[in-house]
Amino acid sequence: MHKERRFRNNMRLFNQEQISQIKREKQSWIEQCLKDRGLMEEGGERTYSGIPLKLIYCPDDIEDLDYIKDLGFSGSPPFTRGIYPNMYRGRAFTIRQLAGFGTPEDCNQRLKYLMSRGATGLNIVLDMPTIRGYDSDSPQAEGNVGQCGVALDSVDDLHSLFRDIPLDRISVSLVTHLPSVTLILLSMFMVMAQERGIPFEKLSGTTQNDFIMETAVGSAPEILPPDDSFRMQCDVIEYVTQILPRWNPISFNGYNLREAGTDAVTEVGVAICNAIETAQEIIRRGREVDSFIQRFSFFWDLHNDFFEEIAKCRASRRVWYKVVSNRLKARSLRSHLMRFHVQTSGITLPSIEPLNNIARAAIQGLAAVLGGAQSLHIDSYDEAYSAPTEKAALISLRTQQILQVEAGVTKVVDPLGGSYLVEYLTDQMEKKISEFIDKIEAMGGIIKIVENGWLHQHIAEFSYRQQKDIEEGKLKIVGVNYLQGEDRGIPSEIFQYPETEKRQAEKLRRLRRERNSVLWRRAMEEVRKACKRSSNLMPSIIEAVKARATLGELHSVFKESFGLWSFPLS
Amino acid sequence: MVSQRPIKVLLAKLGLDIHWKGIVTLSRLLRDAGMEVIYLGNQFPDEIAAAAAQETPDVVGLSTLSGNHLTLGPKVVEKLREWGMEDIVVIMGGVIPPNDIAELKRRGIAEVFGPDTPVQEIIDFIRSQITDIKREGKIDE
Repeated sequence: MHKERRFRNNMRLFNQEQISQIKREKQSWIEQCLKDRGLMEEGGERTYSGIPLKLIYCPDDIEDLDYIKDLGFSGSPPFTRGIYPNMYRGRAFTIRQLAGFGTPEDCNQRLKYLMSRGATGLNIVLDMPTIRGYDSDSPQAEGNVGQCGVALDSVDDLHSLFRDIPLDRISVSLVTHLPSVTLILLSMFMVMAQERGIPFEKLSGTTQNDFIMETAVGSAPEILPPDDSFRMQCDVIEYVTQILPRWNPISFNGYNLREAGTDAVTEVGVAICNAIETAQEIIRRGREVDSFIQRFSFFWDLHNDFFEEIAKCRASRRVWYKVVSNRLKARSLRSHLMRFHVQTSGITLPSIEPLNNIARAAIQGLAAVLGGAQSLHIDSYDEAYSAPTEKAALISLRTQQILQVEAGVTKVVDPLGGSYLVEYLTDQMEKKISEFIDKIEAMGGIIKIVENGWLHQHIAEFSYRQQKDIEEGKLKIVGVNYLQGEDRGIPSEIFQYPETEKRQAEKLRRLRRERNSVLWRRAMEEVRKACKRSSNLMPSIIEAVKARATLGELHSVFKESFGLWSFPLS
Repeated sequence: MVSQRPIKVLLAKLGLDIHWKGIVTLSRLLRDAGMEVIYLGNQFPDEIAAAAAQETPDVVGLSTLSGNHLTLGPKVVEKLREWGMEDIVVIMGGVIPPNDIAELKRRGIAEVFGPDTPVQEIIDFIRSQITDIKREGKIDE
């Protein structure tokens, strides 16, 4: 429990007299020293999300900043400076590199390789059929099985993927994208753990489970309706927070939205809007806010604009603190912590002169550390060509370790706290994010703007303008549209996916032949019935998974029961 | 003089690939360049050929970033041939390893555009493939 410090003196950093003197001195500096006085006007340069920038920031730019109210200390409200008192001195950010390709047996080898080189968390990326709920032997899956991610069809595949990996000691992120797929894959994960004898309270990790991934960020031939997808998202959270105490059932995903085409404000604003409505729905189902909201987690994309991205991380914690406190009325201090994973920006890594991407990703990764991220994935230089080779994946892993132990950036909490620029930007980002949240709510809320296609249009419009800026050279990309070299620098080694389709199809044939068809049919029927009721879907899916129902079989039940929705974009 | 109709382009997201930003942006930029563009969303080769039969485009553009290019790309070409539409120019774009480009071209894909391709390059290529005669000729059909 914490108390609002309501009755106290204003804690501005500078008194009025000091500010006046600084303003006078600044004016005379401008007149005496600055040849081009136009440089002091705002807006010659802007941040990526359009905040106008001055030449230099001084105390008078943050004269209203109230230290205790706006910054405080790490681990204290409003958590601008970080969510834990000791931050990385207590525990370094988790090194959580994505991995996923081929069969689960193939992918298991890459996971072990990353762990042997010091990865401290796992992060599983899935192939498109798995992401969209198709079995590897379905006609739609042709050509995509084991490409860009690992193929997972049944609980047996989860056994293979995590064979010999101590799941009671290492946390696992399953990048499940859709709530419908999360229901199934998380059930498989739980059944696998149960069959291995690992108690549920020892399992720690995250599922993505974001309905915006199902309905706006990614497109597909068959899409479930937004309100049903939202219900499933809430079903996962409602169920899992009672059974897996260390699991994050949702990762509100700003990342992919940003990659699809938005700025930092929309990225955070949409994710927080989704989080608010999700919390309200689960409260409506009869749960106390403090009983589940501590398991919410967020996922940010750290892009090129170094200081704005750091400000985004700091501002988003402050916005979330205020939302949880003022609107959701949580009582426990822990409920106010915005925990987030960061992935560096894939979209900023061009195919031309790809080795330069090592530098880009390192700078973005540094911003994540200065922004106080809980876990990090650094993209690999060759991702515009294929999945990363082992060599490229190792460089990403090593970049994280260099940030942790060589660069000296983890020794002090929030090292940029107090920077005139960073505090100014943090304040601006907070304002813009809050305004964006108000705007979405005025339009009817997050489900509404997905249903009516507003969000899709917003993304399309941004991407169109951005592409024009690139074409016109307004947005400079070194080696691509600025200072081009002779050689495109195509990497000598490009990752080749192992053949997967046949091997997965063979396993599926065997599974369907060997499972108890009576139990399977009965369990499938229960899932069908549960879809018609408004009660939680997860218990029936867990039972079906135990009876060796496959991902595609279960997902087909959803498609039949809820119908399909057409993507509002042409 | 036969009046010229605009170049007609049919664009599709190939199969299960989820990354729609590039192709939707391209569709707007091709429209800006005066072309008539129909975006089909996610489609499989059979549906793409069926849509082409109905729309009779000059160009079919396929976008994929998730590894199904070698399997499904040439299949679209085959289906178009089966339907007697071998004159349609099929182009592809997305994340496609350079080693696969020769194979795609051998199997009937006219050109492959990787990430970072300036859109003007795509526009120029389409215009170079669709001659005035072809466009006038089509109107007479």
